[in-house]
Amino acid sequence: MSDNQFYDSLEEVEPGHTFLDSNEMVLNMGPQHPSTHGVLRVILKLDGEKVNGIECVIGYLHRGIEKLAEHRTWAQFAPFVDRLDYTAAVSNNLGYCLAVEKLLGVEVPKRAQYLRVIVTELCRLASHQVWLGTHVLDIGAVTPLFYAFRDREAILNVFEKYCGARLTTHSFRIGGCRYDAYPGFAQEVLHICEDLGPKIDEYRDLITGNRIWLQRTKNVGHISAEDCIAYGITGPVLRGSGVQWDVRKAQPYSSYEDFEFDIPIGSAGDTFDRYLVRIEEMRQSIRIIRQAVEGLMEGPIIARVPKVIKPPVGEVYHSIEAPKGELGYFLVSDGTTQPYRVRVRPPSFINLQALQKMATGSLVADVVAIIGTLDIVLGEVDR
Amino acid sequence: MKFMELVRRFFLIDLLEGMWVTFRHQRPKDLVTEQYPMQRPEISDRFRGQPRLLKDENGKLLCTACGSCALACPEKLIKVGSLRDPETKKKVLTEFDFDLSRCMFCGLCEEACPAGAIKLSPDFELALYTREGMQLDRKTLEQGIERKAYDR
Amino acid sequence: MIQGILQYLHSNVTPGEAGNLFWEVVYVLLVFAGISVGVIFMNWFERKVMAHMQVRIGPMRVGPHGLLQPIADALKLIIKEDLMPANADKIVFWFAPVCVVMTAFCGFIVVPFGRTHAITDMNIGVLFMLGVSSLGVLGVIMAGWASNSHYPLMGSLRSGAQMVSYEIAMSMAVVSAVMMTSMATGTGTLSMIGIVQAQMQQRMWFAFSFFPVGLTALGVFAIAMVAETNRAPFDLPEAESELVAGFLTEYSGFRWSLFFLAEYASMMAVSAIASTLWLGGWLRPFPNFLSGRAWEAAFSVVPGLTFLALAALCLFYFTRMPRIRAMRADAIGLAAFGGVLGLVGIVMLLPGVRERIQDIYWFTLKTGFFMYLYIWYRTTFPRYRFDQLMKIGWKVLLPISIGVVVLTALIGVRHELLALVWR
Repeated sequence: MSDNQFYDSLEEVEPGHTFLDSNEMVLNMGPQHPSTHGVLRVILKLDGEKVNGIECVIGYLHRGIEKLAEHRTWAQFAPFVDRLDYTAAVSNNLGYCLAVEKLLGVEVPKRAQYLRVIVTELCRLASHQVWLGTHVLDIGAVTPLFYAFRDREAILNVFEKYCGARLTTHSFRIGGCRYDAYPGFAQEVLHICEDLGPKIDEYRDLITGNRIWLQRTKNVGHISAEDCIAYGITGPVLRGSGVQWDVRKAQPYSSYEDFEFDIPIGSAGDTFDRYLVRIEEMRQSIRIIRQAVEGLMEGPIIARVPKVIKPPVGEVYHSIEAPKGELGYFLVSDGTTQPYRVRVRPPSFINLQALQKMATGSLVADVVAIIGTLDIVLGEVDR
Repeated sequence: MKFMELVRRFFLIDLLEGMWVTFRHQRPKDLVTEQYPMQRPEISDRFRGQPRLLKDENGKLLCTACGSCALACPEKLIKVGSLRDPETKKKVLTEFDFDLSRCMFCGLCEEACPAGAIKLSPDFELALYTREGMQLDRKTLEQGIERKAYDR
Repeated sequence: MIQGILQYLHSNVTPGEAGNLFWEVVYVLLVFAGISVGVIFMNWFERKVMAHMQVRIGPMRVGPHGLLQPIADALKLIIKEDLMPANADKIVFWFAPVCVVMTAFCGFIVVPFGRTHAITDMNIGVLFMLGVSSLGVLGVIMAGWASNSHYPLMGSLRSGAQMVSYEIAMSMAVVSAVMMTSMATGTGTLSMIGIVQAQMQQRMWFAFSFFPVGLTALGVFAIAMVAETNRAPFDLPEAESELVAGFLTEYSGFRWSLFFLAEYASMMAVSAIASTLWLGGWLRPFPNFLSGRAWEAAFSVVPGLTFLALAALCLFYFTRMPRIRAMRADAIGLAAFGGVLGLVGIVMLLPGVRERIQDIYWFTLKTGFFMYLYIWYRTTFPRYRFDQLMKIGWKVLLPISIGVVVLTALIGVRHELLALVWR
């Protein structure tokens, strides 16, 4: 559909009247925008300040990753997967490796599983820090962004020392981990856990109790549990509406069943509850990391996987709990060294459907808050 | 309890608590900015930065021209040229072309190398002025990219 | 004529009252220069303070510790291309920033930096200042209209609506302070100098008198003045230029810098009102309770000591500058700046200058405190949504301020009321 047809369809003007007669205005929150967390185009139909209709246009960051997969070997595709949700690259890597290991039928050694859990939970912390900083920045407070990124620096330093890169980590390999814990890994990780507890309390003082924050986020962007399930929304958005579903507890992978942790559930399904859910998830991640570091045992870090990976013909779907939601990989193998099809179930793409439900009827200033609370990363939405 | 709540709301205590948090972060030892290039970050050994071809202690190149790195690279940006030495019947490296502009620093080449000859060194300052400069040849890979060091 | 000029130096009234044109012009130029320096300083100070609160350091490269940053910014803005939208109303487009700047600067005519250090002392001083700042709203709306674009118009109307609604709460708080001037003598005054003298007479800054009425009035004014000047947390029209562009969109280069200048100047103007009305203006702390020659002397060295402390800070940072060749110019600059501050401090310690500089120093300190609060608010608080903003202005601040006025009035007639009750 061309742009003109698109706008026309939004306006729905009655016959005999022109656009200027209507009360409504079409506003384009274009791809270049400080608050859309990437290149997302949101077309709003406004009646003064109230949003009557909303439409998202995506695809500005489409890089054809799933198509590229068909021309790379299974191991060569792993660095590409980091670039999907680039704020939480380790999670993407974990999901892909677990899916291929499921296809191959390989059992990952326990030490590797625990190492994977530690690094993945650190990545969850890092991703939630980015979410916190940018979400609060959109609502107007400028400082928590810097505090969140300062705290994230420690985690990125650990990533750098562990696997050699801060952001696009490529930390795991098919069959286990490539790198073992470097000397001082355990101490540094525990140090991060200790430091982060008081810092999360600081966020509570600075943001959670603040009356301006409460006014901006309570009853904003409400979505009910039934709607969440109907749309297929997962992650903190789903849990904020009251549904108890976390893939780590429901379908445990990579030794998550060995650890004791709670899943925070919200009740009201508004922005404030989702905020609280993510903050509490950060605390639970710290709990998991502590248990994993203390329980880290000796052993091999990678299973015996052939040098040239040729999985048997078949297809597999495996999903993990990424920081944004349920990240799934559907792999189809035709017996060769290159996948036949890799389909990523991107949580941000599916969560973005909720934008229409949440934002219709609210005010313009709330749209920005709602996009922030959905925690979308355009790399994942567009792939 | 209700009275305390009213007092809190009237005297803006929650706002003042937030203000106290921002105020106490002004201690000089809390400021975390690293003033690059006067202060440079510490890079770990495992950091995947500039690719280099390594030599052994005698100064001979470790690379055996096997081509594993070229096969392993997801972007197919390594070109290994070799000759077979008539006496030793072993391959000898003639050319090694590395296209830095397409490299995503994934490290698969250094993993694949059986001799440990190619390594992504902990050097991250790779900005260049020309696109041609990003096509690294064997000499540049051995010696490292030539750049001007800035100290301010 | 020279005699007329020199004669003024021994008077104890402001030049306006004395009718002395020469000194009026001198004071006008001094105030103009002072505000400009203040704006430049605020630019640097805001960036540095915001940065420190955000655990980073602010500008460091343009001069030593970023001291030349405002000059670089000003230079950049001046040499930028001056765009005007195609179908914009040229005269109104040109006039809008002029209007805003003029009203912001005109308010300073009555601001008293000391008993004799004001351009003039109108007997309706406070009313004049409030009226002039209301004219600023006109400039904002003109800016939005002249841009000939949908979004700046909406932004300017929102901004105008916000400024107007908070002005009422501001004025009510001011009325309460003015009523307090009549507590002791039975006659109140609107003149700024008169208000400070009334505080001196009543031996109590109005912020602390009849606790908590004075403090509430100050609180209401402090919140309303932030909304009046479109600063965080009420800066939706300005910062929501993410979505609906603020009224400043079409202005670039020098015209934009005029708006920016006017914003800081009006911030300083309302801070000046706040410190005059509630914090005792130019009075030093405890002028009545800690009186006497010893205390006078002790307090009079404070300005000089402040500047000497600042100079010591500069020299301390000078010793910590990196000793590389490229930073040599910066290091020398910082040492020179420290030297200048030290010199100013020493000059302020001289006996002749000490007494005269007192008033100006304490006034500037109090106004500076409010400016620091502005920066602090901006760093800490998220933004209010526009409907919540209007709700607070009309439904929360206005009733509180009317309540404060009523309470002050009741306190003012307490003797008569008690007499009535006791009969």
